[in-house]
Amino acid sequence: MQSNWQAAVSERKMGERRKMTVPLSLEKAATWTVLVPVAFFFMYPLWKLIALSVQTEAGIGLRYFADVITHVRTWNAIGHSVTAAGASTLIALVIGVSLAWLCAYTDIRWKSAIHVLALLPLLIPSYVMTLAWTQLAGPQGVLNRAASWLYGGPLELWDVYGLDGIIVVMGLTHYPLVYMLTLSVLYRIPKELEWAAHSSGATATTVFRKVTLPLALPGIAGGGLLAFISGLDNFGVPAFLGIPENIPLLSTLIYEEVIGFGPSAFARASVLSILLGVIALAGTGVQWLFLRKSRVDQTSAEDKSIRRHLERYRRGVEVLVGLFLLVTSVLPLLSMAANAFIKAYGLPFVPQNLTWKHFAFVLFDHVGTRAAIGNSLMLACLTGVLCVVAGTWFAYWRIHRPSFMGKVMEGAVALPYALPGMVLGLAMILTWIEPIPSWQPGIYGTVWLILIAYVTRFLILQVKSSTVSIMQVGKEVEEAARINGGRFWTRWSRILLPLYAPGMATGLFLVFLTAFTELTISSLLWSSGSETIGVVIFSFEQAGSTTHSTALSSLIVVAILLALTMGGLWKRYWQRRIQG
Amino acid sequence: MKRVLSPKWTLSLFAAVAVFGLAACGSQPSSTSPTPAANTAATSESAPAPAKIAGSLSFYTSQPDADAQALIEGFSKNNPEVKVELFRSGTEEVMSRLQAEAQAGQVKVDVLLVADAPTFASLKKQDLLMPYASPEAKDIPAEWKDAEGAYTGTKVMATVLAVNSSKVAALPDSWKVLTSPEASNKTIMPSPLYSGAAAYNIGVLTRQADFGWDYIAGLKANQMTVTKGNGAVLKSVAGGEKEYGMVVDYLVARAKKDGSPVELIYPNEGVPVITEPIGIMKATKNAEAAKAFVDYVLSEEGQQLASSLGYTPIRKGIAAPEGLRAQDQIKVLSANTDELEANREADKKKFGEMMGAK
Repeated sequence: MQSNWQAAVSERKMGERRKMTVPLSLEKAATWTVLVPVAFFFMYPLWKLIALSVQTEAGIGLRYFADVITHVRTWNAIGHSVTAAGASTLIALVIGVSLAWLCAYTDIRWKSAIHVLALLPLLIPSYVMTLAWTQLAGPQGVLNRAASWLYGGPLELWDVYGLDGIIVVMGLTHYPLVYMLTLSVLYRIPKELEWAAHSSGATATTVFRKVTLPLALPGIAGGGLLAFISGLDNFGVPAFLGIPENIPLLSTLIYEEVIGFGPSAFARASVLSILLGVIALAGTGVQWLFLRKSRVDQTSAEDKSIRRHLERYRRGVEVLVGLFLLVTSVLPLLSMAANAFIKAYGLPFVPQNLTWKHFAFVLFDHVGTRAAIGNSLMLACLTGVLCVVAGTWFAYWRIHRPSFMGKVMEGAVALPYALPGMVLGLAMILTWIEPIPSWQPGIYGTVWLILIAYVTRFLILQVKSSTVSIMQVGKEVEEAARINGGRFWTRWSRILLPLYAPGMATGLFLVFLTAFTELTISSLLWSSGSETIGVVIFSFEQAGSTTHSTALSSLIVVAILLALTMGGLWKRYWQRRIQG
Repeated sequence: MKRVLSPKWTLSLFAAVAVFGLAACGSQPSSTSPTPAANTAATSESAPAPAKIAGSLSFYTSQPDADAQALIEGFSKNNPEVKVELFRSGTEEVMSRLQAEAQAGQVKVDVLLVADAPTFASLKKQDLLMPYASPEAKDIPAEWKDAEGAYTGTKVMATVLAVNSSKVAALPDSWKVLTSPEASNKTIMPSPLYSGAAAYNIGVLTRQADFGWDYIAGLKANQMTVTKGNGAVLKSVAGGEKEYGMVVDYLVARAKKDGSPVELIYPNEGVPVITEPIGIMKATKNAEAAKAFVDYVLSEEGQQLASSLGYTPIRKGIAAPEGLRAQDQIKVLSANTDELEANREADKKKFGEMMGAK
């Protein structure tokens, strides 16, 4: 085996840098280990969805497409969706990249606190986030009342309802995706490159534009794409801020169609979902255009030293970042927690109206909660583990064997994240209730279907995060290892995995967090015994017990914050011990 | 990667479950089961004394979790050998899941309890329901059950006027308050595009001589806010963001009981009412258990339970909970169910276009 590889390596043509030459059978085997699962778990459900959209009473036909495409509301919704997802991605990019750069390179203080607070928007359920924003910037909100008071008459500074509000709130919800993926790539840009540019006379801005930015592009573009497709799928924000102004987005329009209940409801919903998928793929195309020219082969360890001293600006930047995080992360959380302490919704927040009983209820009296926490933990862990293995392998295969097939498959992996949860859930039911005629695997109605759905939906988060790391590690490293006789397992465990680890960890983290609090899919797929946290929160909310749903949400966020802080402290302790 | 259970594995699992299930049945004290079985036998005319009711029953509902649990517990007390499997979610999710199952030709649900009569009328049209005239339905007014027994109402849920009592001093007594100048920009209702109950209400209101689409135009002119669901309406009124809301009664009664500053008003023109009907699916594999479940929900005991959970019972002669009116004291606004079902999409579309033109 070993001599085989060595022979293959020596035969390698110098021109093909990225193509790896291994014995044909191995190459084929690798392709199949990617192709078959992707086809089965990703393409098959999508195919079911497409099949649904062309099935009319009169056989196969494009009647529903014609129907939907000629409807004015559809084009309104497409326009709103593209605008909202695109503009919110720009906001997410600006905030995410700036924050990542500040945290990675400058001497700004309280970095670990910033890091934890920047993750909060991903943790707080989007309905809570939106509710907080309506309290802050609604027509009767704090902002406008303060403005009116200062002005001395009625004055509306900004109203969060409407498309502009959707864009802002979505941008603020999705910037952590850009931040996370950019951060891990920034740490690995060799500072010698920046020094070289500096000593050749480039200004700080030029260095950032010509050196840092291009090298960080895999992370930035990956994060941007995730923010874009998250924006396409987001239902909570447009449902709260768009419906009152009658601004349909594709996600809300699809929901309207699905609950139309009629026999053609699903067909029309799947037509709309396919349109949504096409837009998501266009987003992937744009990302590819950006990355086409970036050939980054930088194998360097993470370097967390300070590269830029802010000097007299430091205090100002710190205050700015602090204020930003206060408004976007801390205030929504506080407004959520405040609701959980009030005896009955709507009472003023004064001492005699406050109580702990809602927390006690969800922790001790409500039977479902503890089971749900257990289920969600189990699901999030399993999803994380499966995704980190499959996603990293997929990303590795995709980068080292570039092909048209690879692009198609990456699109297929990205789509389930872009589809509204309701639609993906339906596709999962249609697929898994009877995958092959007369074969019912019996996983419908069990927790395992939720697991499959989670992996299908969240795998792209892992693929993108691992891609960032893999693109940063030069091919030479693996080749050197191979020439020196490193077997497959040795190469992966001793060399590749440690180098890929930062990106893999980022992905694992994102997948775990999103799966832990997932709501839409599990509210469609759960059944007795497989409740998730999302299902319980959703039930409280629907039963009108806002105080209970906010109490549980607050507890979850606090628990995750505690875990993050403990993890951070442990890491610091460990590093100190290693460094002696 | 993930592995799917092989058919063989599944089979052995089923076998194990079956054996376990049988063993569990065998170990039950036999004295508990004859009572309800005998009940059913006595009340249904022609059936020869049926075997004891056992097996599993799949129950899909949109009732709040605690209510669904209470219902199952009550039923299980009388039928300890039936294992009820629950799926509870919003009406939209429950209906979508059911439709997906129907699409795949694998309806897994036995008993369904959701939403309103037009929704069930649509299922009946799709030929998904099994007719069952429950002997317990005789005390339920004819307007609230299907003539052929495809579905039967289980409670009376009126859409009422909710008012924030800390902001509104003079309590109104008419729906007309929503179009009055003093309520301008202070009113809110759930969107019929997202809430089935709201769609029902719009269908009913626009078919009343005193209201019609002119009333909707008046709401629009008075800058009514339309939001996603009933819960959001209650929150907005209780929180004081809006002062008047159109919202389902039990949410208001509960919030008021908890101490929120809201008042519940039955306007004198009457109120639209949905009945959360119950029905058995044609595809059921356990019709006996399904029938027993329906009987229980409609029985005196089941209706007392509904009342104790805070809903107006649908059965005559059972007291309503505190803060709500009994079913025979409510002035009901109604319309023909089939007409509502047939026009629901058109009504929603028209509403969307009217409210949308800003």
